[in-house]
Amino acid sequence: MAEVKLVNVSKSYDQGKTWTLKNINLNIAEGEFIAFIGPSGCGKSTLLRMVCGLEDITEGELSIAGELINDWPPNERRVGMVFQSYALYPHMSVAENMAFGLKLAKADKSLINSRVEEAARILQLEALLERKPKAMSGGQRQRVAIGRSIVQQPRVFLFDEPLSNLDVALRVQMRQEIARLHNRLETTSIYVTHDQVEAMTLADHIVVLSPLALDAESNLEQVGKPLELYHHPANLFVAGFIGSPKMNFFDGFIEETGNNETRVKLTTGEILTANVDSQSANKGDRVVLGIRPEDALAETDNGNAVEGKVETLERLGAESYIYMSHDTIRENFIVRVEDSRKREVNSKMKIELPIQLCHLFNAEGKAFHRTQAPAYDL
Amino acid sequence: MMVQPRNLKYRVWTARIFMILFLCLIMFPFLMIISVSFRSGNFATGDLIPSNPSLEHWYLAFGIPWENADGSMTQPPFPVLLWLWNSIKVAFISTVLILLLSTTGAYAFARLRFRFKESMLTAMMILQMFPAVLALVAIYSLFDQIGSYVPWLGLDSLGSVTVAYLGGLALHIWLIKGYFETIDLSLEEAAAIDGATSWQAFRYVLLPLSTPILAVVFILAFITSIAEYPVASVLLQSMDNLTLAVGSRQYLNPQNYLWGDFAAAAVLSGLPISIIFLLCQRWIVGGLTSGGVKG
Amino acid sequence: MEADQKAQSPMTWLVWGIIGLIDLILLYGVTLMYAQEEIAFALIILLIVCTGTWVFISNKGYNYRYVFPALLGVSIFIVFPLIYTVNVAFTNYSSSNLLPLERVKLLHLRKTYKTDGESYNFKVYQQDSDYRILFISNKEADKHLVSQPFNETTIPSPLKTDFSPDLPEGEELPFRDTIKLRQTLKKLAIELPDSSELSMTSLRKFGPMSKIYRDIGHDTLEDVRNGNQLKPNYETGFYIEVPEGQPDSAGKQTGPGFVVYNGWDNFVRVINDPGIQGPFLQIFTWTIVFAGLSVFFTLVVGLLMACLVQWEPLKGNGVYRLLLILPYAVPAFISILIFRGLFNQNFGEINMLLNLLFGVQPEWFSNEFLAKTMVVIVNTWLGYPYMMILAIGLLKSIPDDLYEASAIDGASPIQNFFSITLPMIIKPLTPLLIASFAFNFNNLVLIALLTDGAPNIIGASTPAGATDILVSYTFRIAFGQYGQDYGLASAIATFIFIMVGVIAWVNLKATKRVLE
Repeated sequence: MAEVKLVNVSKSYDQGKTWTLKNINLNIAEGEFIAFIGPSGCGKSTLLRMVCGLEDITEGELSIAGELINDWPPNERRVGMVFQSYALYPHMSVAENMAFGLKLAKADKSLINSRVEEAARILQLEALLERKPKAMSGGQRQRVAIGRSIVQQPRVFLFDEPLSNLDVALRVQMRQEIARLHNRLETTSIYVTHDQVEAMTLADHIVVLSPLALDAESNLEQVGKPLELYHHPANLFVAGFIGSPKMNFFDGFIEETGNNETRVKLTTGEILTANVDSQSANKGDRVVLGIRPEDALAETDNGNAVEGKVETLERLGAESYIYMSHDTIRENFIVRVEDSRKREVNSKMKIELPIQLCHLFNAEGKAFHRTQAPAYDL
Repeated sequence: MMVQPRNLKYRVWTARIFMILFLCLIMFPFLMIISVSFRSGNFATGDLIPSNPSLEHWYLAFGIPWENADGSMTQPPFPVLLWLWNSIKVAFISTVLILLLSTTGAYAFARLRFRFKESMLTAMMILQMFPAVLALVAIYSLFDQIGSYVPWLGLDSLGSVTVAYLGGLALHIWLIKGYFETIDLSLEEAAAIDGATSWQAFRYVLLPLSTPILAVVFILAFITSIAEYPVASVLLQSMDNLTLAVGSRQYLNPQNYLWGDFAAAAVLSGLPISIIFLLCQRWIVGGLTSGGVKG
Repeated sequence: MEADQKAQSPMTWLVWGIIGLIDLILLYGVTLMYAQEEIAFALIILLIVCTGTWVFISNKGYNYRYVFPALLGVSIFIVFPLIYTVNVAFTNYSSSNLLPLERVKLLHLRKTYKTDGESYNFKVYQQDSDYRILFISNKEADKHLVSQPFNETTIPSPLKTDFSPDLPEGEELPFRDTIKLRQTLKKLAIELPDSSELSMTSLRKFGPMSKIYRDIGHDTLEDVRNGNQLKPNYETGFYIEVPEGQPDSAGKQTGPGFVVYNGWDNFVRVINDPGIQGPFLQIFTWTIVFAGLSVFFTLVVGLLMACLVQWEPLKGNGVYRLLLILPYAVPAFISILIFRGLFNQNFGEINMLLNLLFGVQPEWFSNEFLAKTMVVIVNTWLGYPYMMILAIGLLKSIPDDLYEASAIDGASPIQNFFSITLPMIIKPLTPLLIASFAFNFNNLVLIALLTDGAPNIIGASTPAGATDILVSYTFRIAFGQYGQDYGLASAIATFIFIMVGVIAWVNLKATKRVLE
């Protein structure tokens, strides 16, 4: 077990002409479970592969347990990794798969056996030890892959989208198993995923990465606790990425700044209020107002509302989504309701945006601090 | 299965009869040569099943003198078994070397990054189209030269033929490389994280998984070496050093036409090679098609 | 894999040791070659040693370690011979001009003639593996002139002799065994006590000999008997005898010739010499026809058989396939020789069968058209299984639903073949067909073992036959029984290189198209 530290880590595949990752700074404490999340192409897997040595580090420093290990080959880093494809050795049985690393290290036979047995017990694989990987189900293979890294007692566990090849039900179950395993072993873990539910449920802290814009300083968007990202996204990118369905964004201008209440005028002329501290901005600045689909309220009008047209309805049973159109909306305008029976396509509808639940972002996409947001630090 | 048209039965029978006739045509030379090997004398004619079979040619093929009816002895004309042994020695050693070099080469081309990799691969692909036949004069001179420093690699030595066959490895590099590329790269990455050096990952993970293609390349290279004629015919001269492919030709000289003796020798030496091939045909077919289709 | 490869423990030292040892041996070889003035070879080996050592020692060369041996094999046995062949094409290298000038000069310098003086009879005595010669003088028969001991491997030069009162020790060799020893005896240079020299003049005698020529510089030799000069002619590659005092008169050529560069001569011969040009064009045309027909027929038969074998209603496919592959399983050289026997004009089983059925006995080896037909038939027999194997693989890759769709459209099997099967497999098949064309273009084994070119083309100045293809024609020029002309053979081989290069390039394009 060890802490992992990244200082200005950057990656370029073509000697600095274009960058995949730039200036990533992270401090991962001992025993922490951290998730890398971002859309495809943001370099989250590359970052993970740099931590384990499968990719070299173009610039910056990587240290594990206080040792600078930039130039160490993967076989000397003492990290464990679970691959998306499991990467089980097809020609070896489960037991051999798990014992492979220890055998290479010329460990004692009795030590190998006891470690393998222990891992099998933890992961409930005792009955499968003699099986070959192809004779097992996806979930079982996943467990073997985890077992293989447990056996080595690595300083850091790395997971590269480990659940993406499983079906939904199994994914939920494995997610809980990984959580349980981490509680038990308390090994520092880094978990790469594109699925925010996995990240939100498993991680102590989440790292959000974005595909690197041409002139951006860094593609690390925000690091924080799961609910912190949900309630206090640092910028438009994180706000749009965390939460499902996506947050609705309206274009507008600041009508009146304030330390608790900010008034925004949409391009359609509608005036809205949000509980954010906008003292750093000026009247007339371009802003984006955001509201989550689950926060918007249909057909209640306390003044802070916009009028849109119903386009389509998705009835899911427990809840329904109303897809609407509005002149100032970016991408989508979705409202979650519990009962959609009375709505009709093409009808006009007022949607209330509760003042304390609105997000506001400046022209650069940076969020204004929300003053009335719920506490997340539980 | 689909519902078949009504005239299917006739079609099947037509196909079957055609197939059997074609197979008769194909098998004719084999049946004939087996029949000839049991006839007495070198110019005997007769039915497909010899009326009075004789083991004369088989004795001679095994190197045992044959006592004729009139009491005279016929000595074996050529050392067939020695030739077969020469062929096997040459083919085995050259195949092992080819396998060794092409496997490591293919590994580098499939997995490692280095300069000129693409151009080297293209060069290999073009060079494999130039068989040794085209440069026999050069190969002859080359081994003439080498022989004056290293006699066991000089002209008329089995060593020279063995080494000359190494030129054929370009094709095999392509075959093995194609197979390596079908193996998930993350297996070797997993091995690296498990603490393996790149050599250990190659040795304990990639190689065991590639046994099918290695077997195919082994058999293909072995059979190619055994059946190689031009290079061996130029490099080898003395009777005891010939390989089977070069030696067999001696049987059918117009001046000394030993048709019957040839038949027995051909069956004797061709049989083991053919049987090996047929036993492994499933793999070979797989290797040829995948290698061929993938290029 | 990307991170640096660190040096590993004691293994490293072992590797260094082995590399050092190999380097030492090779460097010793380089010195030897340099001493023998084989500068080109010495340089090549030196280059290999240096790159090899760098690749196996330097960390930067790590990734090349895996490819270096393979590349070395390919360059020595494919690339180097190709370059060497092109080089030979511009020389007069042949059986009459075989050696470099230096070696020919040495040969001349070693020539001796019998000079005046006494001849000796001799007897050879053997003791263990050593021999001594007893020379018997006609004048002083009582004196025993005995040589130093020598054997096949160690011959002192000159071999000194001494008068001795006794016969040599050991057994006297019977005359028959003496004859067996003559190759060794011929090499002996005997020095008599009065320091005159003897060498073997006949099977029974040693006589005084001396060298005919002496080196007078500029590679010119002088005949010590009559003062005539031997001057090398660098155009023809022969020594010319120039009578004394007439330096400009052209004398007769004195063999053996030596190797010189003769520019485009060999290529010009191919174009101008009617005895080469005619057969060359005829053979070139036939080569293309032969390779084309072989590809066509093997493809047609192979494809047909593949379709039949893949056809589900025809049961017992496995057995059919096994039997159909048989011609491919038997080594080609055996099958070809079997056919050579079966097609034999007088004793061949095929003619017997034809005689029995139709009363004809075609002349397979002396009629040009029949010989060519036979070659194509045999090659089709040999080659269709390969096409069948490839076709089976490709047929399997065609999705079934295409045929299901066409069945609903009511297509017949023939329509299926031409509108679905063929279009689907022709693209991946193209590079394979080109490769097959190239293979048959160079199918020396078939021609050499089946017909050896027969029947012969009349009026050809080098051996050439109607069924000869370019490689077998080259092969016969270079290694045939009637005088080997390596230069001409290499010139034609160079032409073949260009052809094969073009084919290879086309193939590369076709392959790339398949991969896209």
